[in-house]
Amino acid sequence: MIWKIIKKQALLFLRNPQQLVLLIALPMILIMILGTALGSVMNGEGSPINLKLAFIENDDEQEQVERFLTDLAEKLPPEAVTDIEATISNMMPVDLLKKSLDNKEVDDFIQVSYFDPSEREALRKEESYTAIIEIPEQFTYKVLEAMFLGNIEPPELQVTYNEEEQVGTSVLTSFLTQFQTQLTKGNFLGENGIDLSSIQIDESIIEGELIAVNEKNPITSSAYYTVGMVVMNVLFIAGAIGYYAFHEKEIKVFNRIIIADVSRWVYFISILLSGTIFAFIQSMLIFTFSRIVFGIIWPNLFSFLVVTLAFSFAVGGLAVLLTALNYRVNSETITNFFMNISVTLLAVLGGSFYPIGDYLPLIQTIGNMTPNGASLTAYVTLLRGDGIAAIDSQLIYLVLFGIVMVIIAGLCFPKRGVSA
Amino acid sequence: MIELVNLSKKYKQVDAVKNLNMFIEKGEIVGLLGPNGAGKSTAISMLSSLVEPTSGDVRFENNSILKNPSPLRKVVGMVPQEIALYTDLTAEENLEFFGRIYKLSGKALKRKMDEVLEQIGLTDRRKDIVKKFSGGMKRRLNIGVAMLHDPEMIIMDEPTVGIDPQSRNYILETVKRLNEERQMTVLYTSHYMEEVEFLCDRIYIMDKGNLIASGTKGEIKQILSSEKTISIKLDRLNDQFVEGLRENPLVNRVTVGEKEVTILVPREANMFSDVIKIAEAAELEIYSVDNKTPTLEDVFLHLTGRALRD
Repeated sequence: MIWKIIKKQALLFLRNPQQLVLLIALPMILIMILGTALGSVMNGEGSPINLKLAFIENDDEQEQVERFLTDLAEKLPPEAVTDIEATISNMMPVDLLKKSLDNKEVDDFIQVSYFDPSEREALRKEESYTAIIEIPEQFTYKVLEAMFLGNIEPPELQVTYNEEEQVGTSVLTSFLTQFQTQLTKGNFLGENGIDLSSIQIDESIIEGELIAVNEKNPITSSAYYTVGMVVMNVLFIAGAIGYYAFHEKEIKVFNRIIIADVSRWVYFISILLSGTIFAFIQSMLIFTFSRIVFGIIWPNLFSFLVVTLAFSFAVGGLAVLLTALNYRVNSETITNFFMNISVTLLAVLGGSFYPIGDYLPLIQTIGNMTPNGASLTAYVTLLRGDGIAAIDSQLIYLVLFGIVMVIIAGLCFPKRGVSA
Repeated sequence: MIELVNLSKKYKQVDAVKNLNMFIEKGEIVGLLGPNGAGKSTAISMLSSLVEPTSGDVRFENNSILKNPSPLRKVVGMVPQEIALYTDLTAEENLEFFGRIYKLSGKALKRKMDEVLEQIGLTDRRKDIVKKFSGGMKRRLNIGVAMLHDPEMIIMDEPTVGIDPQSRNYILETVKRLNEERQMTVLYTSHYMEEVEFLCDRIYIMDKGNLIASGTKGEIKQILSSEKTISIKLDRLNDQFVEGLRENPLVNRVTVGEKEVTILVPREANMFSDVIKIAEAAELEIYSVDNKTPTLEDVFLHLTGRALRD
């Protein structure tokens, strides 16, 4: 029975090409327009991006360099040690990193504050920083050891990102990736017996590009807007299903279904499942489009499907709530309001048009309390290479949101048919 | 088969139906007559278990349906006043959907769909999208959907509103045939007097939420057994003529048409000479004077002082 109602809903969608265009083609067009138009801003070119970084250093670098040279004297001939000593001041990784971050050219969008390791926990709780970069103990010693002796893997920086500042963390990730490449290159040369004393790390390469550590993927504007448009436009499915359901009430098809002794809960569940299934299908169609046209690949397909399912369920909950409210107030005003005003508002708060929350933390908090905003955060986190564990709060929120919508809808839904 | 006992429905401050008592026996066609807003649709919504009454009871086979409507729902087909169809689907898709709602499937569903399409004369149009149908075709399909599960009783709420005379006749004939050939019980609501007169064995008349008359056609017309109606056709009308009729002590009521006046007078009264005199005084030419037996329309007019379609 439920399946028949869902199948009927599918037929109604298919017989309404205008609606299909709005639900499927429009978001695709918007992705292309926004991805292109706002691409430079999204990719950090001339954008008002502001990276606020906290820098924690656990050991004194100069002391580590001196200890390294002392230890090196026991392993290499004195001439080699002298050569290295002459150039090592240009190969101190922490110093290079600091110079890059404090460079005047990046002054406009990077502010670095230096902290003592004892302040680490307080900084993490504060959440006002785009990222906390921490230099682990013995970092410089190990980097130099890896470079010159080549017998160990170079160590990694410890970076804690602020998940809510998606663009900022994306830029910083890209920055750090370049730095990591430089360190790895030095390690490779050392391992292959190339005289490192004659090579200096080219600061100009590092300048303005910086570092990488946790191997997170940068996000393109097309990827961001694919997600943004999906989470916005899928909300229209809830409105469309609410509209169809109210039409069924108006023309007394709902009464016919009730008189056929079909439980109102069967109808209710059909609406919920229709919303969920069609939201999932719509999402998948747009994501497939972005895969073909923009080559957007999901690092973790399973996590991606889980987010899409959770979001689709939340949309299904919205569909059944809109239906119940329309039935309750005997008007489609609520659906119209949702389609014309609420979706746009939710899209702005959720960051579909621009990651506004990166600059206004309060908006970010509110945005993450919307189903589209929570989904967008989850998708972006996945695109950056994180696993499902990093989005557990969003997943729980989406499922809870759907459940709450269903409960409210159940309380509002008419007990029998609808009045004459 | 079905009995409505002191049934009332109140919406906020409006009494849509007040203490309605009626019964429907198996195999009969019962008419529920009344103008728009009389409470007919509310009454049948309560009868069919769609709307909960404010007070009173609906009994099916001597059991209340208020707490357990399933036994009634299994044997009732409903034809709402609205075209309760998916107009973006084909006739066949609509029948299939509603057939499955009625738990039909496979060959049984297909056979039933063929049969219904034949009955409503839409076999050739089964693959067509409903929104391309004429008003009459949509009405026929609307009825067909209610017949899919072979109901023992069919409730029709003004099923001929807004259609051409040919489709209307087709529908009336179909209803009559269903009753005669299958002994299907029919509750037919309408404000078209002639439809009810043509179809129904017994009639209930409602106005402003109240039941104002009930019985067989003959019994209801007996309400006017002591009176008769006289229809007077003239070349034109003026106030002097109408006032002259109203002042005549034998005339109980005057209804004015375009070039016609209908008066209600005692059965034994001979009004011919009086009418001629009043017309001459008003300088009017009489074309005809007809004595008529009272119609249901006359009964309604007599009971409420208003025409059914006012």
